[in-house]
Amino acid sequence: METIGVHVDGVSKRYAHRVKGEVYAARDVRLDVRPGEFLTLLGPSGCGKTTTLRMIAGYEKPDSGRVRFGGQDVTDLPANQRNIGFVFQNYALFPHLSVFENVAYGLRVRGQNDDVIRKSVGDVLTLVGLAGYEQQFSGQLSGGEQQRVALARAIVIRPRVLLFDEPLSNLDAKLRVQMRQEIRDLQRRLAITTVYVTHDQEEAMAVSDRIAVMHQGSVVQQGTAEDLYHRPASQFVAQFVGRMNLVAGRVAAIVGETVNIAALGTLISARSPPNGLAPGDPVQLIVRPEAIEVIRGDTGTLHATIVSRTFLGEKIEYLVRCEGEMLQIVRYNAGPGDLIPEGATVSLRFAADAVTVLTNTGVEGRGSE
Amino acid sequence: MSATGRWAAATMGMRNDPAVAAAVFVLWALLALFVVYPLAMLFVRVLTDHGGFTTAGLAAVLFDRHQLRAFRNSLLLALLVGSAGTVLGFLFAFTAARGRLPRGLLTAIDAAVLLPLVSPPFTTAIAMIFSFGPRGLITYDLLGLKGVTVYGLTSTLFSEVLTFFPIAYLTLRPLLAAIDSNVEGMAFSLGASRWRVFRTVTLPLTIPGLANAFLLLFAASLADFATPLILAGNNFPVLPTQAYLQITGLFDLRGGAALSFALLLPALAVFLLQRYWVSRRYYVTITGKGAGQTPFDSIAPGMRTVLLAACAVVALVVVYFYALLLYASLVVALGANHAFTLQHYRVIFTDGLKAIRDTLIIAGLAMPLGGLYGILLGYLVTKKSFAGRRTMELVSMINYALPGTIVGIAYLIAFNDPPLELTGTALIIIACYIFRYGPTGIRATVALLQQIDKSLEEASQGLGAGSGATFRRVTLPLIMPAFFAGLGVVFIRSMTAISATIFLVSISWTLITVKILENITELSLGPAAAFSVLVVAIVFVVIAIIGRVLRLFRAPGAVPMTSLLGG
Repeated sequence: METIGVHVDGVSKRYAHRVKGEVYAARDVRLDVRPGEFLTLLGPSGCGKTTTLRMIAGYEKPDSGRVRFGGQDVTDLPANQRNIGFVFQNYALFPHLSVFENVAYGLRVRGQNDDVIRKSVGDVLTLVGLAGYEQQFSGQLSGGEQQRVALARAIVIRPRVLLFDEPLSNLDAKLRVQMRQEIRDLQRRLAITTVYVTHDQEEAMAVSDRIAVMHQGSVVQQGTAEDLYHRPASQFVAQFVGRMNLVAGRVAAIVGETVNIAALGTLISARSPPNGLAPGDPVQLIVRPEAIEVIRGDTGTLHATIVSRTFLGEKIEYLVRCEGEMLQIVRYNAGPGDLIPEGATVSLRFAADAVTVLTNTGVEGRGSE
Repeated sequence: MSATGRWAAATMGMRNDPAVAAAVFVLWALLALFVVYPLAMLFVRVLTDHGGFTTAGLAAVLFDRHQLRAFRNSLLLALLVGSAGTVLGFLFAFTAARGRLPRGLLTAIDAAVLLPLVSPPFTTAIAMIFSFGPRGLITYDLLGLKGVTVYGLTSTLFSEVLTFFPIAYLTLRPLLAAIDSNVEGMAFSLGASRWRVFRTVTLPLTIPGLANAFLLLFAASLADFATPLILAGNNFPVLPTQAYLQITGLFDLRGGAALSFALLLPALAVFLLQRYWVSRRYYVTITGKGAGQTPFDSIAPGMRTVLLAACAVVALVVVYFYALLLYASLVVALGANHAFTLQHYRVIFTDGLKAIRDTLIIAGLAMPLGGLYGILLGYLVTKKSFAGRRTMELVSMINYALPGTIVGIAYLIAFNDPPLELTGTALIIIACYIFRYGPTGIRATVALLQQIDKSLEEASQGLGAGSGATFRRVTLPLIMPAFFAGLGVVFIRSMTAISATIFLVSISWTLITVKILENITELSLGPAAAFSVLVVAIVFVVIAIIGRVLRLFRAPGAVPMTSLLGG
C-alpha cells in the first residue's frame, strides 16, 4: 500500500461547557503530516491534542474543516472505514479475548482466512517480541506487554495511518524510555505515517520527526525539536519545551542581523527576529539555562551571586541573583572541584546564538515552520 | 444512507437503527402491559366506584381501627427489622472484611449467610415453630415450658431478621472492603486508638451504606408476606397478610386492593430515598477490587474473638434451623415421633409432583426470558440514545421495588377479565416473575456496561468493525456475566417467591411455595419441610452451575451472582 500523508485542514470542534458556555476543544487546527512522517502533538492537558487525534481517527466529527488521507477526504467516514491503527492510553485490550484473538480481531473483521490470520498474527507478535504469548489473556500481562499487544493489534491490519494517544503514560519511567525507542524503530521500519499525542516534551523530542505544540485548542508552533527549542515562537512554547529564563529588556540598537538589547544592566546581543524592531521597543529575552556560562570571580561585565546549587552528578544546577533577577543555570560537571559555593560572586556570559527575542506584543504569535 | 448519516450511525449508536427502534417499541409495549397497566387498574379499582372518583374505599381502610393497627404494625416491624438486621449485617461484614479470617472460615460465613437468601419463604418460620412452638424442641423438650405461644411480634421479628440480614451483609461487605485501609492506618499512625479509628474513620465512611442497608431491609420486611402469615398471629396483624386474607378469606378484592394500596406509599418512599438520596452519598467507590492488605490490625485480638463469637452464634442459629428442617423432613413427626422415614418425600413426589413440575416449567421458562429482558433493557438504556430512556429504566424498576402483594393484587385485577383474561395460565405467573425479578439483570447489565471503557468499543471500531460486529464480538461477550447472573436470580426467585404469585396460582398451574403454605395450614409440617429442603437443594445446584459458567468468562467485573440476591 502506498504511504500517504494526513492533512488536517482548519478543523474545529466545540462543546458545551456547563460554566463557560461554548468552548473550543480544537480551533482551526491545520496540520500537514508528510507520507511516512512521525508527527507529535504536544501540549498540556486540555489543549485539544487528543480531540484533534480523535478527529483524525474518526471517533469525533469536526464541526468545521476537513480531514484528508492523501487525496481522499475522510471527514465523513466513520473510524471503521478509515483503515487506521489506534493505540489507546489504557491499551483497550479486549479482556475476553486472548492475545492471539486480540491481534487477530481486525483481520477477522476484514474476513481474512485462518491461514492468513495465523501467519500475520504470528509475524507481528514476533515483531513486537511477544511470540509465545498467543494464549495469554490481558490480565496476565505486564504493562509493557499489554502495550506491545496494543501495538501489534494496531499494525497487523497494515493501517494507512498509525495513531497514538499518550501510549506510554501508564508505564514506569525506565520502560517508557525503552518503549518509545521501540515504537520509533518500528515506525521507521514500517514507514507508516504516524500521529502521536503526548504531554511529555522529552518523549516528543525523542520520537518525532516534527512536533506541533498545541495550546488552548490551537497549534501554536510546528517544527523539529531543535526548531522549537532554539527558536520558540512564544513564551508558551519556550516554557513548555524545556526550561528557560525570561528577562525583560529594551532594544538598544540594531546592527544588520544582530540586535543589541539592554537588559540586566548590560547589553546582550541576539539574532534579530523576523518582524521589524525599532530602538526603544520593549522585548522579552528567552535564555536557556545551559546557555549561560558561569565564570568564577568578578572579572566579567555581568556579575551575579550564587543563591543555591544542586549537584546532580553529570550536571550542576545553580540559582543566581543578577541585577535583582533570579536566573536558573545548568552546567555540565567538569570534574572534582567544579562546584561553586553558595554566596560566591561570579561573572555570567550569554552565548550569542542562544538568546531568543520575543517582542512584548507578539508573545503568543503563531510560529511559522 | 448519506455519508454523514453513516458516520453518525456508527458513532452515536444507531440513533435511527430499525432494530433498536423495534426493540424499544416491543419493550415499551411489554412494560405498558405488565407494569403500567396492572398498576393503573389497581388505582382505578381502589379510587373509583361506579365510574366516579372516590376515596371511600381507601378511607374505609385507613380509618378502620383494626386495619390502621395493621398499618402501624407493618411500619414498626419494618423499623425494627431494618435496625436489627443492619446491625447484624454490619457485624458480619466488618468481621469478614477486617477480621483477617482464614479462607475456610470466610467460606463458612458466606455459606451460612447465603442459606436464608436462597430459601423458600416459611423456612425460618417453620423452624421457629419446631423450636419454640407449644411442642417445640427448645421450649417444650429442653426447657419443659408448657402452653407457650410462639406467635407475635418477637418471633416474627426474630425470623425476619435472620431471613433478611444477609441483604445488609451483601451491601456492606464490599463497601468495607473498598475503604482504603491506608486511610485507617493513617489515622492509627496519627495516634488514634483502634476504637477511635473505627468511630471517626471507618464508621463515617460506612454511613451511606448503613442507610442503604436499612432501607433495603425496611422494604423487605414491609413487603414480607410469608413470615407474618405463619408467625404474626391474630394479635399482630400486618398489611400484606391482611390484604391476602381480605381477598382469599372474605373474597373482598377491592378491600384487599385498598389495603395493599396503603403499602404503596411507604414502599415508594423507601425506593425513592434509596435511589435518589442514599446512593449519591457514597464516599467510597465500589470497584469490586479489594483495597489490598490492611496495613495494621484494625481489630484488637480480644475484640476479634468477641466479634467472631457473635458471628458464630448467629451462624449456628441459621445452621441449626436448616438442620432442623432437614431432620423434620426425615422423621415421622417432629416433637412426637422421631422414627426415620422417607414418607414425606414420597408425598411430595406423588401428591406434590404437579407443583414441582409446574414450578420447574415456570421457572425454566421465566429464566431465559428474564435474563434476555434484563440485558436487552440494560443495554438499550445504557448504550443507546432514544426518547424516554430514563423513564424506561425507572418504569422497569417499579414491579421490582413494590411489595409483591401489591403486584400480585394488581395483576389479579388487571388480568381477571377479558380482553386480557390471563389468570389461571402459566403465562401470567411467568410474566410476573420476569418483570419483578428481571430488573436484577438490568442493574447488573448497567453496572457492567458502565465499567466497560468506551475505548474498547472504539478500538473495535478503529480496527474496522461496524456497530453490529462490535456489539457481537466485544460488547455481548462482556455483558454475558450479567445475563447469567440475571437469569440465575430470576430462576431462584421463581423457585422461592410467593407474595405476588399466591394471587395468581390456579388449579391448572400451582407452585411449590403455595403447596408449602397449604401444608403448613393443614399442619402437615413434614411434607412442608421436605418441599423446603428440595427447593434449597435445587437452588444450590443451579447456583453452582451458573458459578461454573460465569468462571468461563474472563470479563472484568463478573460479580458473584449471590451478591445480586441482596436486592
